[in-house]
Amino acid sequence: MTSTILVIAEHADGQIRPVTGEIVACARQLQQLQPADIRIVVLGDPVETLAETLSQKTGLPVDAIRTPHLAEYHGDTYRDVLTDFIKELQPRYICAAHTSQGLDFAPGLAVRIKAACITGVEAIVEADGEICFTRRICGGKLTADIASPNAQIVLSVLPGSFSADSSNATTAGAICYRTAISETSARTIPCGVLRSSVKASGITEADVVVAAGRGIGDRENIALIHRLTALFSGSAVAGSRIVCDQGWLDYAQQVGVTGFSVQPALYIACGISGAVQHVSGMRASGFIVSINSDPNAAIFNVSDICIVEDLKTFIPLFIETATSPHPD
Amino acid sequence: MNILVCIKQVLAAAVRVFPDADTRWIRSDSDEYVMNRFDEFAVEAALQLREALSDGRVDVISVGPERAEAVIRRALGMGADDGIHIITKTCGPIPPAVTAALMAASVRNRNYDLILTGVMSEDDMNAQVGPAMAEMLDLPCATAVIQIERRGISTVYVEREMEGGMRDALEIRLPALLSVQSGAHPPRYPSLSRMLRANRRPIETIPSTDLGMTAPDIHVVRTAFPGKTRAGYFLEGSASEKAAQLLKIFQARSLMR
Ligand SMILES: Cc1cc2nc3c(=O)[nH]c(=O)nc-3n(C[C@H](O)[C@H](O)[C@H](O)COP(=O)(O)OP(=O)(O)OC[C@H]3O[C@@H](n4cnc5c(N)ncnc54)[C@H](O)[C@@H]3O)c2cc1C
Repeated sequence: MTSTILVIAEHADGQIRPVTGEIVACARQLQQLQPADIRIVVLGDPVETLAETLSQKTGLPVDAIRTPHLAEYHGDTYRDVLTDFIKELQPRYICAAHTSQGLDFAPGLAVRIKAACITGVEAIVEADGEICFTRRICGGKLTADIASPNAQIVLSVLPGSFSADSSNATTAGAICYRTAISETSARTIPCGVLRSSVKASGITEADVVVAAGRGIGDRENIALIHRLTALFSGSAVAGSRIVCDQGWLDYAQQVGVTGFSVQPALYIACGISGAVQHVSGMRASGFIVSINSDPNAAIFNVSDICIVEDLKTFIPLFIETATSPHPD
Repeated sequence: MNILVCIKQVLAAAVRVFPDADTRWIRSDSDEYVMNRFDEFAVEAALQLREALSDGRVDVISVGPERAEAVIRRALGMGADDGIHIITKTCGPIPPAVTAALMAASVRNRNYDLILTGVMSEDDMNAQVGPAMAEMLDLPCATAVIQIERRGISTVYVEREMEGGMRDALEIRLPALLSVQSGAHPPRYPSLSRMLRANRRPIETIPSTDLGMTAPDIHVVRTAFPGKTRAGYFLEGSASEKAAQLLKIFQARSLMR
């Protein structure tokens, strides 16, 4: 019997999320190392349009589980319905997204079905005859290759790591409809999705973004970042989540998965470690310069120019160099 | 309301780490350990709930080697009531399902109304311990929570953070487990007098070997430095030489006059 790789589709607002295509790409790579059928499962109500989109885009067989009253994501329902489905299908791998949805249901699902769980998968490699899943550790400074001999493995796939096939499949995959009998869980009652009132503070339009991280050390040093920013025209100050949590900058200035995505011509990262959640919001910038006192900081892996210095002394020095009359 | 907060000791963010082929894990150039930052936010959230309700207690629990006692003391210094330390022998990484099972086994009969964890640990970054432990204890659960409000005696209202600034609002029946995301309530700093008092307090210790549990095997095969996605050109020389080079680079690319 061939084994199965199950992809759990992610959707919100009635749309399949782009990360779903990336999970499929991850599954296809896994299939090269471990021959298996790939199937996609999608839960929702209504589920028809979602299932058709998936089948047309990927050409893969889709199990569409009509789950009464489940318009948006709900953790308890996902775990209940998926457990029943997985017990029947017995897939070898179960691939979810490493997102606020996937991370909410996948670890508990793994416990329930007695599967191993590996989160934040960004690559698949073979080492010592074992299939290993590469993930970041230590704030992104290192990677670890993880393996498991377990019969079932739940994976969460890091967004931005596998490239989704953008073309439509030549033949659509078969769709198999079923209806879940899920008792509406009384322990967690959804109260709706709230939309943020925070609007980006010009950081999304700026040509040059200078971003401050926890490495600035103190609220007072924000002034340094402002002085550096003022050297460039069309520039704006941004920050990492930590700096915004501290109240040193406003949430309207936060770059990253839970903040804003920016694509300026120049991004200067000052005292930012380079956690994936931050990098996903700035990696598309034209040119990236990073200043960090740790030569192994993860931010240097996504930078064009790396400067290993204490920003508190280097930034004033740079401002002085840039503003003093040129000797030549 | 009785609250338990799960906390972890991690290497400080500024410590340099290296892959270690012998142990298949990591090596560091210093042993500066701190409380996982997301757990500090969880402790803060618990203390604020206790203050708002002016009843109940906040206990903390940590799984880790002897040195992890320091983060329990810090949480007591922040204002937690009691500490539980599940002492492990290993120096390598502990799979998140094992950590979750150890804590689940030791708190199962302690009747906490609410269990909080940080959204993830800064070192292993699995983001699994909270939701895995909830499943083991059959508790309702929400992850990446940035707002918690008590509603009546048996319910909490929470908001979970999602991508792009969206929030998912839920009412959850107690007892429950929440993983806490960092937010606009920075963790308090323990005062010196509180730390002195905390250092004299007894901490309940449980050897992990006494808890007998199993979890699916996951193991680290190797660690490495990540690959680069860009040129990653390191400027050389003194700080002023680097500043001069950087200026030239900006000018050459017309990013600066
Ligand atoms: C679900 C989730 C969502 C998240 N969303 C986001 C998001 O949208 N945006 C975001 O930014 N983060 C986000 N995070 C947090 C993220 O994981 C990191 O914790 C955060 O980005 C780290 O911020 P930082 O780089 O400023 O701080 P740190 O990681 O503490 O790094 C500070 C850096 O400064 C350096 N440094 C220290 N002193 C100096 C000095 N004097 N000179 C130069 N360098 C110095 C250090 O070497 C270190 O590299 C999220 C986390 C989770 C779990």
